[in-house]
Amino acid sequence: MTQAINIIVLPVLIGLLLFLIPAGFRFIKGIIAIGVTLITGFLAIRLFGSEDIVFSLGDWVAASGMQTPGLNAYADADKYSSFSLDGLSKLITLFISLLSLLIAVYSIMYKTAGAMRNYHAWFLITLGFSFGAVLSNNLLLFLICWGILGLTLYRLIRGNDETSSAAAKKTLIIIGASDGIMILGIAIIWRITGTLNMDEITLPTSDLVRTVAFLALLAGSFTKAGAFPFHTWVPDYAEKAPATSSAYLPASLDKLLGIYFLARITTGLFAVGEWLRFMMLTIGVITIITAVMMALVQHNYKRLLGFHAVSQVGYMILGFGLGSLIGVAAGLFHMINNAIYKGGLFLTAGAVEQQTGKEELNELGGLSRAMPLTFFAALIFALSISGIPPFNGFASKWMIYQGIIDFGQGIGIANKLWIIWLGLAVLGSALTLASFIKFIGGIFLGRQRKELSAVREASPVMWIPMLILAMGCIGFGVFATNQIIPRLFMPVTGVFEYTGIWDSSTVSLLVLVSIALGILIYLMGNLKNFRTLDSFVGGEKMQEETSFSTLEFYKSFQEFKWLAFMYRKAKDKWFDLYDLTRQFLTWLGRLFSRAHSGILHDYTLWVLAGLVILLLLLIT
Amino acid sequence: METYLFYFLIYPGFLFAAVIGAFLSWFDRKITARVQFRKGPPLLQPFYDFFKLLLVKETILPARGAKGVFLAAPVFAVFGATMAGVFILLPLMNITTGFHGDLIVIFYLLTIPSLTYVIGALSSGNPLAAVGASREMKLIMSYELTFLLVMAGIIIKSGQSIDLYQIIQIQREGSPFIGSFSGVLLFIVAIFCLQAKLALVPFDMPEAETEICDGIFIEYSGTPYAMIRLSKYMLFFILPAFIIAILMNGIKLEGIHILWAILKLLAVVLLLTLIRNTNPRVKIKQAIRFFFTWMNLLAIIAIVLAIFGL
Repeated sequence: MTQAINIIVLPVLIGLLLFLIPAGFRFIKGIIAIGVTLITGFLAIRLFGSEDIVFSLGDWVAASGMQTPGLNAYADADKYSSFSLDGLSKLITLFISLLSLLIAVYSIMYKTAGAMRNYHAWFLITLGFSFGAVLSNNLLLFLICWGILGLTLYRLIRGNDETSSAAAKKTLIIIGASDGIMILGIAIIWRITGTLNMDEITLPTSDLVRTVAFLALLAGSFTKAGAFPFHTWVPDYAEKAPATSSAYLPASLDKLLGIYFLARITTGLFAVGEWLRFMMLTIGVITIITAVMMALVQHNYKRLLGFHAVSQVGYMILGFGLGSLIGVAAGLFHMINNAIYKGGLFLTAGAVEQQTGKEELNELGGLSRAMPLTFFAALIFALSISGIPPFNGFASKWMIYQGIIDFGQGIGIANKLWIIWLGLAVLGSALTLASFIKFIGGIFLGRQRKELSAVREASPVMWIPMLILAMGCIGFGVFATNQIIPRLFMPVTGVFEYTGIWDSSTVSLLVLVSIALGILIYLMGNLKNFRTLDSFVGGEKMQEETSFSTLEFYKSFQEFKWLAFMYRKAKDKWFDLYDLTRQFLTWLGRLFSRAHSGILHDYTLWVLAGLVILLLLLIT
Repeated sequence: METYLFYFLIYPGFLFAAVIGAFLSWFDRKITARVQFRKGPPLLQPFYDFFKLLLVKETILPARGAKGVFLAAPVFAVFGATMAGVFILLPLMNITTGFHGDLIVIFYLLTIPSLTYVIGALSSGNPLAAVGASREMKLIMSYELTFLLVMAGIIIKSGQSIDLYQIIQIQREGSPFIGSFSGVLLFIVAIFCLQAKLALVPFDMPEAETEICDGIFIEYSGTPYAMIRLSKYMLFFILPAFIIAILMNGIKLEGIHILWAILKLLAVVLLLTLIRNTNPRVKIKQAIRFFFTWMNLLAIIAIVLAIFGL
């Protein structure tokens, strides 16, 4: 119990104290942040080994033997301060602390983050309230932590010019609005059940009111995780925020929290009906396809990653939409994997940005020799996110696919359409691969540019976290089927059997065998007798500006009529809920402003009309 | 572990697939020559080609590319082809011991060779290779969904089984899947997917010789190119073998059945060769449209037929 309280309170307290340290002592703040994340990491590991328990603040006070006078006065508040330690919350806590540790280390040398005021303070406060959200058992307490996280998200982006402050504002408004919707859902739950403790609530989604409550909470979870149609803040945020903030919140913590809450509401709070499953699966595939189609045509690499941060959520939603044990486990596994590789990808993007000072894909190229370690890490992350075996992204996608195929044996409408879910999920994976070819090819491969010849590898403080995450991708892939799933995820979901066949460890061993074989062939071959020459372009003279930019790669898709139409509309923000709402509100405002004609007659008329309406209301 | 290594490296993995694939590629070249009223190469020509590239030819590395990635890419191409080959050929050869992989695993492993070609091409820094890489990637995007729909059709026909071994058994007990309407349609779609996966005409735009000088492979020479040829040979065997496994009730390696096995294999390869010899290369946009509209439509018709048991 004490550890659970400490892990929440400690980062928040230290974070608040960091506000007192002057901005000049940035490095010291960074070191303190690392220290705190180390302690929380230690606590999270201790918590992971502890047993499941539900306790309130009062239980903790009683257990710790503190005798505070006047505590009885708060006895009623006790039921709102309920915490829960179970398999799911312990797992999420563990990964939150691991990822935050790596990002805290990276942040020390990352200048864009360092230049922000109180970055480390907000970082630690985010950490504490993330733990709070995951460990709280009471919906109200959860909502408070969740709401503060929306605020810290806003504070972790630098609003120093027009576009980035617009992105920050958009983020705050979307997240804030979703919190408002969640309050509605929680109020309905309170009205129906009379309790707000998650372990005491199980509701069917049989009638309209309960369905509305479910949808309200679902909207909150989707917004945090960044699923269609509430996803539009993620790409803007990713483009404008420092890479560490993107790696920290939208890429990893918000995914962990959003999907954590999704897991809570779909497997605990509500028994999800068939049509809602159908809806979730549909949203899942729409999220995958639309976001990845947008990613294909981006030219800012951070924005490209932002769209992928959206599209990957679709796979998790698919897993939870299936609702079977393997589906839920796959959703959770994909969430963890996504946090690892997406966090890592933002870190590599940050390293590239810092070392080159460029944010556009077409200004980069051929960096693999200058930044070999960053390139290696980025390649591993890219292959993982595209689901190439034997990396971790493949393992979780494989589970989702077999979950879908298994789901196809059922009799419902959603079950009968399994081929659609499967086909679009696999198509999304192929498109992901394509857009990461653009990312890797555009930044690291291709012809080395003269103007980038001075670029050097990022500092070890930056590449060590990246390589640790890359090792995580490899490790989670290699030991997926026989170690990771049974040890980490089956305790949470319950034991299940795979319907597919995939032995990740053997295959990984055979990868090593193949590499040895390849080296052997190279040794056998005539490799010593080599020359290096500039590119052969069919006998023409190779010129400095001769190139085929990766931006041109998928142009032919934009030439198809209906795709071109969709892209044009997407550019005009037809699919951006935020923008649509904004346009609607401006329209409404304009409508009302017409009443303000400045003519006295009109105003008297309005006053009179108001009086008549009031009178009518009072009479009836 | 020794048996695993044997399966992986010797039979039915690396060595076996490479040798059979080389012979099949000779068959392909011979048929092509006969179609064009030429004499054609001798039986061992693919081996001559391979060893000449491996042992004699000079290797040229791109001066301003990523040399490490450039050299590593063919290794992983060979890995992808071998691994997929083992997973396809073990059930096909009726070897029940050893490791298995389901259809999803095979599906994903089969994309690895194409992916490594793309990465290798991009690492060379050659603009023509980049054109080829872009086309290859677009081709992957177009046929991936179609190929998956073929798999889905097979999964439906076999009663939601994704185990290749079981799929072959189900066909042995009943009739081969190709013996139904949906099976025929799936076979047609699968053949076109193979054509694209093997980058044969009409879908050879990633390596269009006359236009972008072999595109994705333009910078490859000597030993690394030998490995690429090797992976191509292997794919030329395992992809037709995969079709035989999922649609034509596999093969048996005893008595007269060996002859049947060889005939089935040659028939599929002959089909691929004839398509490639009687068609012109299409543009990439035409290929995208072909797969996205027509092949997907055909596959969906096949799936609907399969749901109704036809």
